[in-house]
Amino acid sequence: MRIKVAGIGLTKFGELWDKSLLDLALEASYEAIEDSGIDKNKIDAVFVGNMLIGKIAGQDHLGPVITSSLGINCASFRIEGACASGGLAIHLAIQGILAGTYKNVLVVGAEKMTDAPSHQITWALMGASSSRERKAGLTFPALYALMTQAHMQKYGTTRKELAEVSVKNHYHASLNKKAHYPFEISIEKVLTSTSISSPITLFDSSPITDGAGAVVLSADTDSRGLPAGRQVFITGSAVASDTIDLAQRQSLSELKATQIASKKALEQAGAGIKDIQIAEVHDCFTIAEIMAMEDLGFCSKGTGGRFIAQGATRLGGSCPVNTSGGLKACGHPVGATGVKQIIEITTQLRKTAGARQVKNANIGLTQNVGGTGATVVIHVLQT
Amino acid sequence: MSSPVTVWRHHQNIRNYLGKTGKIIVWTKVFIAPAGFEHEAPYPVAIVEFKDGFRMPLQLVEYGEKDLKPNRRIITVVRKLGKVGLDEVIEYGIKAKPI
Repeated sequence: MRIKVAGIGLTKFGELWDKSLLDLALEASYEAIEDSGIDKNKIDAVFVGNMLIGKIAGQDHLGPVITSSLGINCASFRIEGACASGGLAIHLAIQGILAGTYKNVLVVGAEKMTDAPSHQITWALMGASSSRERKAGLTFPALYALMTQAHMQKYGTTRKELAEVSVKNHYHASLNKKAHYPFEISIEKVLTSTSISSPITLFDSSPITDGAGAVVLSADTDSRGLPAGRQVFITGSAVASDTIDLAQRQSLSELKATQIASKKALEQAGAGIKDIQIAEVHDCFTIAEIMAMEDLGFCSKGTGGRFIAQGATRLGGSCPVNTSGGLKACGHPVGATGVKQIIEITTQLRKTAGARQVKNANIGLTQNVGGTGATVVIHVLQT
Repeated sequence: MSSPVTVWRHHQNIRNYLGKTGKIIVWTKVFIAPAGFEHEAPYPVAIVEFKDGFRMPLQLVEYGEKDLKPNRRIITVVRKLGKVGLDEVIEYGIKAKPI
């Protein structure tokens, strides 16, 4: 597999009260199309990753909402897979190119979350859970709190190790002008912030964010417009599923779907996890990044907290993770996140990440999770 | 809010889970609740395992702080779920009580 990331576009992430979902989606789309150098009339299909707009604003049928505003008449699709909607949209766009149906595809991930009150967002996000979980009064912070408790019980992971994830990702975000929270925080701040669902605090949690990202993917593998070595290709793309109900899993402290999808994607890319030099993973809550490190194989099971606390995944470490600031500090506009991860790795591999540039990075990986791991999308990108 | 027919259909299944005993596997206390549960926060929810090995998430009721720990024995009971408006159908479901 060798799909070119021909163009990228990303809005500022944050509480963007002066912009609608369409404003954000178009801003990112036009930037990606311009970056690709491809005429918009040569876009063969548009895939839109979005989770919530139908529930909180009553707007469905999102594909044509985007294409009609772009002034093009190509095929268009809205893809929903909870917080993995963006990653799924990328995966399906790739399948369309690999099948030979499309040559140039625009993928847009967009979410407008701050128009709705937080209790409505909390309720809407629970659409990604099971009926039993909703009836028990669970929320996503509570579901990840249960996984946190399981990890702490089984492996002795500490609150301080969890807090290290937030501290690192806020440091990375402080170097990213498009991040929702571009400032550093302390361990103390995380540990003493408001409890959301024990033991998860406010600063263990990703925020409610507005934002959009877009990429143009192309079957054309020429290197037009970029110097040799800076053209970026997706070389692995895989999706795996697990039970929608967390309680039905064999293990509460790992994501089986991450293990399955990463194995497939790395095989497609002809790479191993030790080859990966940079990663963007789904740190919706601090425990999620710790489990991701273990499930992807960066470290052994149960050692993710220590691995991160020792600095291996911080800029300057052996494999920097979430250089964008991750979901925690760059922000988590749910349908956009999977696309933003591709944009961050592409930016790094193009060597245009500025102050947060990882030196000599030529191969990276993204992990985008839907729900509590019922859907996981993995991509491998290479120069 | 659930429609009357979905509440009726859900109520058909309550008997299948009533009076079952088991133990807490993991628990959390929810401080920021979803719509319909705000008036109950903070409240604990646990993944419980019944004697036949089946696991499910259940809200804990009639508990003390000392009950919030793994392996604490529970029994399932019927209780009202969430809060509804005056002209809406009250939904009941299964919760867990320490024994």
